[in-house]
Amino acid sequence: MKILALESSAHTASCAVCDENAVICESSLTTGLTHSQTLMVMLCDMLKNANVALDQIDAAAVSFGPGSFTGIRIGVSAIKGIAHAMSLPCVGVSTLLGLAKNIEDMNVIACAVMDARRDQVYNAVFDMSRGECKRLSEDRAISIEQLTNELKNSKYDLPVFLIGDGAKLCYDKMKDEIKIKIAPPQLRLQRASSIGFCGIEQIKKGNALKASELMPKYLRLSQAERLREEKLRRELQ
Amino acid sequence: MKECAQGLKLPKEKITESVKETEAFARFVAKFVEGGDCLAFLGGIGVGKTAFVRGLSAGMDVKGEVASPTFSIVNEYSGEISLIHFDMYRVSFEDDLITTGFFDYLKSTNVLVVEWSENILNFLPDNVIWIEIENLGENKRKIKIRKGSK
Repeated sequence: MKILALESSAHTASCAVCDENAVICESSLTTGLTHSQTLMVMLCDMLKNANVALDQIDAAAVSFGPGSFTGIRIGVSAIKGIAHAMSLPCVGVSTLLGLAKNIEDMNVIACAVMDARRDQVYNAVFDMSRGECKRLSEDRAISIEQLTNELKNSKYDLPVFLIGDGAKLCYDKMKDEIKIKIAPPQLRLQRASSIGFCGIEQIKKGNALKASELMPKYLRLSQAERLREEKLRRELQ
Repeated sequence: MKECAQGLKLPKEKITESVKETEAFARFVAKFVEGGDCLAFLGGIGVGKTAFVRGLSAGMDVKGEVASPTFSIVNEYSGEISLIHFDMYRVSFEDDLITTGFFDYLKSTNVLVVEWSENILNFLPDNVIWIEIENLGENKRKIKIRKGSK
């Protein structure tokens, strides 16, 4: 199965074509330019340079959240459009799961973190030691302080690796309080190939969708923040 | 925002007597803006916020006709540093604000300018730059520029 994958949920824009065994081609850009300017251009160039035609593609996958509202919508719209035009089955993949996939089959706990706002991160924790990304938590928005305490109290047997665009931020805040490691730069950020491999797994499990069914999955910031906002609003009235 | 540019100091206050003068002043202020700045207007209807943005866009040499984003919520005028023009008149809640892309734009190296910032005070960055426009009657305005914390 050849899968076309896009990842644009954060600062990095990435596209890839994979099959079950290999990354056939992949492009990635982490710059200040907006994904609406770069993603499709990068995709077309990549397909042309790799000599892969769209009609050779069997399925499509995209990171559907959490992440930047605009970035998610760009990626999801692009995949919906391509999947609709080519009648491809498609699937949405959690950005955090995609991050963990970068370090699959390593004897570690992957703590995927993406910079949200107000000292919060989008986070999920995975056990990577069993030949799969075994979830130890759902995708959630959590304060860095809360995450630090959770990791402190969890007593994992395996080393905990921070991964994602929030990894450096968390590492700098956590390293004096708990034993924590950070994935190296070449594995740290989102990449479309990982989304592609997650996508293949999901499609083989029978979770494929039609283009019209694929939707983004935004994460709201934590309950405490929303309650604070509601309280402020009442005070201002 | 720079305090000095091309040997000139950033003016903190200016009285303007017409729309054209407001635009001209904003054009001058454009010399001092830097990528990453978030300018927030304080001032009611008809004080000249959009006129100010017109001047700013001319000074920044960005492409696109400046229009009030009351319905579009956000207009983007592109250039080497783009000018992102918000109107929060119709934005009430954080979820609404998220859907405008405001928080994504804040992370970029563009210049944001926000009309009706009073509606989203809680979400403006700590290093927001206030552009306060006071109506002194007829076409006369007092424009104050203040850097600051909320």
